[in-house]
Amino acid sequence: MNKELTLDMLAAVKKPARYTGGEFGSIYKEKAEVRMALAFPDVYEVGMSYLGFKILYHLINKLDGIAAERVYAPWMDMEDSMRERGIVLTTLETKKALSECDVIGFTLQYELSYSNILNMLDLGGVPLRSAERGDDDPFVMVGGPCVFNPEPLAPFFDFALLGEGEEAVPEILEAYRAWKREGKPGGRQEFLHRVVKIHGVYVPSFYEVEYNEDNTVKAVKPLVEDAPAVVKKRIVEDMNSIDFPTAPIVPYGEIVHDRIMLEMFRGCSRGCRFCHAGMIYRPVRERKPEVLKELARKLVDNTGYEEISLVSLSTADYSCLNPFLDDMIEEFKDEKVSMSLPSLRIDSFCIDVANKVQTVRKSGLTFAPEAGSQRMRDVINKGVTEEDLMRAVGAAFANGWKKVKLYFMIGLPGERDEDVLAIADLARKVQWKYKEVTGQGGCQVTVSASSFVPKPYTAFQWVPQDTLEEIHRKQKLLVDALNFKNVKFQYHDGTTSVMEGVFARGDRRLGEVLYRAWKMGQRFDGWSDGFVYENWIKALEECGLDKEFYCNRVRGEQEVFPWEHLQPYVSRAFLANEYRKAQKEMLTPDCRLGKCNGCAVCQKMGVKIVDWSGNAYDASKEPNFVPLEQKLREEEEGGGK
Amino acid sequence: MKLRFQITKEKEIRFISHLEYVRTLGRAIRRAKLPAAYSQGFNPHMKYSLASALGVGVVSYAEFMELELEEPMNPLEAATALAKALPRGIRVLGVDMVDNSAPALMSVAGGAEYQVTIPYTGEWEQAVEEFNAAKELFFEKAAPKSKKKVKTIDVKFFIPQISAMDLGDYLRLNFHCKITPTGSMKAVDLLNTLNQYWNLELPVEKADIERMDLYRVDEEGNKWPLLDSIYTHE
Repeated sequence: MNKELTLDMLAAVKKPARYTGGEFGSIYKEKAEVRMALAFPDVYEVGMSYLGFKILYHLINKLDGIAAERVYAPWMDMEDSMRERGIVLTTLETKKALSECDVIGFTLQYELSYSNILNMLDLGGVPLRSAERGDDDPFVMVGGPCVFNPEPLAPFFDFALLGEGEEAVPEILEAYRAWKREGKPGGRQEFLHRVVKIHGVYVPSFYEVEYNEDNTVKAVKPLVEDAPAVVKKRIVEDMNSIDFPTAPIVPYGEIVHDRIMLEMFRGCSRGCRFCHAGMIYRPVRERKPEVLKELARKLVDNTGYEEISLVSLSTADYSCLNPFLDDMIEEFKDEKVSMSLPSLRIDSFCIDVANKVQTVRKSGLTFAPEAGSQRMRDVINKGVTEEDLMRAVGAAFANGWKKVKLYFMIGLPGERDEDVLAIADLARKVQWKYKEVTGQGGCQVTVSASSFVPKPYTAFQWVPQDTLEEIHRKQKLLVDALNFKNVKFQYHDGTTSVMEGVFARGDRRLGEVLYRAWKMGQRFDGWSDGFVYENWIKALEECGLDKEFYCNRVRGEQEVFPWEHLQPYVSRAFLANEYRKAQKEMLTPDCRLGKCNGCAVCQKMGVKIVDWSGNAYDASKEPNFVPLEQKLREEEEGGGK
Repeated sequence: MKLRFQITKEKEIRFISHLEYVRTLGRAIRRAKLPAAYSQGFNPHMKYSLASALGVGVVSYAEFMELELEEPMNPLEAATALAKALPRGIRVLGVDMVDNSAPALMSVAGGAEYQVTIPYTGEWEQAVEEFNAAKELFFEKAAPKSKKKVKTIDVKFFIPQISAMDLGDYLRLNFHCKITPTGSMKAVDLLNTLNQYWNLELPVEKADIERMDLYRVDEEGNKWPLLDSIYTHE
């Protein structure tokens, strides 16, 4: 097996440090009983910025005799060079070909990275389809946000883990070690029957999908007795008790997020109706400020980084953000360590916080009103107003900021042209605000508008996505409306949104489409260098499928979705009700403010919101509440899940 | 006071860029908790620098870093702490202490010694002999950041002599290369020069280039080490 990336190969490609490993903090276990590749289906700089794999890398490597290693998609220049010379894709650490690993875990972050999964398996010498793999081939596992509908990938992975991996991944690897030690009895099938007993594990080959005549799903049925009818996500109840890596790898090359990532909390219950993450990661569970500070201290000492990013889905919502920030700034000021927040909500934007975190240049602030008109912001339950935005930018301008980036979506359900044009009005009003506050002109406003793609397990999972023509027409409307001074308009080609839409709400039949598109040379579809729309359309046609079925069709209220056997436990009735409220432009408040909205995650999972403000709704006080531990025990005693 | 370190950039990390190497050292200094001095102002920078930039892909046993300290520290202790905080591929070979007023290392270096190992089985004796005998050899090197512009240099001014050794499938070249206040030349351009004048067909892209030393040169042409005192870690 030829693995060596020679001097001339490395010298000829862009960013060769992507392929050479050896970074400070990387862990090399030459001898290991079980070796897992953490495979990120994009380039090094993107994959190295992913917190989930930082967590798993350290968690797994703490296990005696079990190794976690990293593998990323080689950029096209390196891939061509590898294919030309017949070189196999290996892990960065001990240079094991993917085919030599025991388990390969891919994270599903984005639908358009799926073609890279096939490409990496192929480059790594692993048979693409799970049915083609033998007892000596690795198991291909998937996880991450898109795992709540992994059906388009069903032919290619052996099993999936739904939800959080801190507890489940070690359980899976221990199960594998036991099976391997016993001499792999019963072959691959037996291991799948063992692993499916672990909560949160989904084995797609154990299910059969029946379709109606109109091509919608009739039912997804287990084929074997030990496969549960519904697989529910795994969840960590207490964020303070689980491991968080305090000595992460410090890369040489500049990666996308080249700083300490301190995870403040998981989940978000703002309830934006378009937001996938806001639904699948419920409920909110905060870490204690003292735990965070201790983690930060170790991270600074171990990495030498000068910046700590306080990450979460909405960090300004951390219940004790202000005192925590003061404490952190005091703790680290002599070491020149600054704090940053990746996202700021307009309504919780506080110039005080902005001043604290933006210690470097007053270059620019990003706000996400998401929609231009108040009507649309109510439809999506964003819960912010134009006054909120004007107050926030006004305060920012008064404090020396000159540039603002505004992030929007177009193509939201029920959107009219006036809603699209309201984006331009808002940009203009921001510029006026600048003039009003500073007495000067020249405020730079960048407007970014992405095209909305409906996602599973959101209130908008039923809605038709705008057609490509409609996306283009609305983009043109905005291009014209934003044709004024000091405004920059950014948008993506609508064709990528179409394919993202197909795969987001797709079914198993898309596996063949993915395979054919990959055969036509598709890879790096999330990059404009890689995406070729015509190939995807051709692949769909060859399989007798059309994009309209997946994207542009109104889904019936009773329609069975391809993903419903995979549960983040947000109730369908809640989502349907949210959709109805969206049509009526009605808001749903955050359950952290005290009232349960009935998404049912707490009750069904047996977990509760962890929020230090003390205001949040506490489901554990309900008379019928059964805690997670008890639920799991009862299920185990009852046999099966 | 300033600390000067002789450090390496070895095989494992030969493909990280100069900028990445510098940044990596900065983070290591912070991990080692050396009492580094910072610039004043809104965006303070740690006061450290490297003596010379190394081409991507070149291994070096003679990189020199200078670090200004906020408060004094025993150089040996500093070297030990730094060594522990470095990633694989960077070792501390020496340390020295100078006043803040000492001239920057960048301006002190007068020459570098290289070793090049390259897969090659053809004739080379005549080329080396003629190279060493030549008075001047002009070579057009690509100017940095511009592919169109070229600059003509006299290779012999920078590299007066080369010595070569047959290693079977490989050819090994050893030579010294002059560094002047206005610049130097890349080791790889020596190979290009040999190919151009003597049609050697050396596979330049496969060359394993190592910088063995970097030194000071006095008026008489004597070579002196950049650091006065050498401490060898390990």
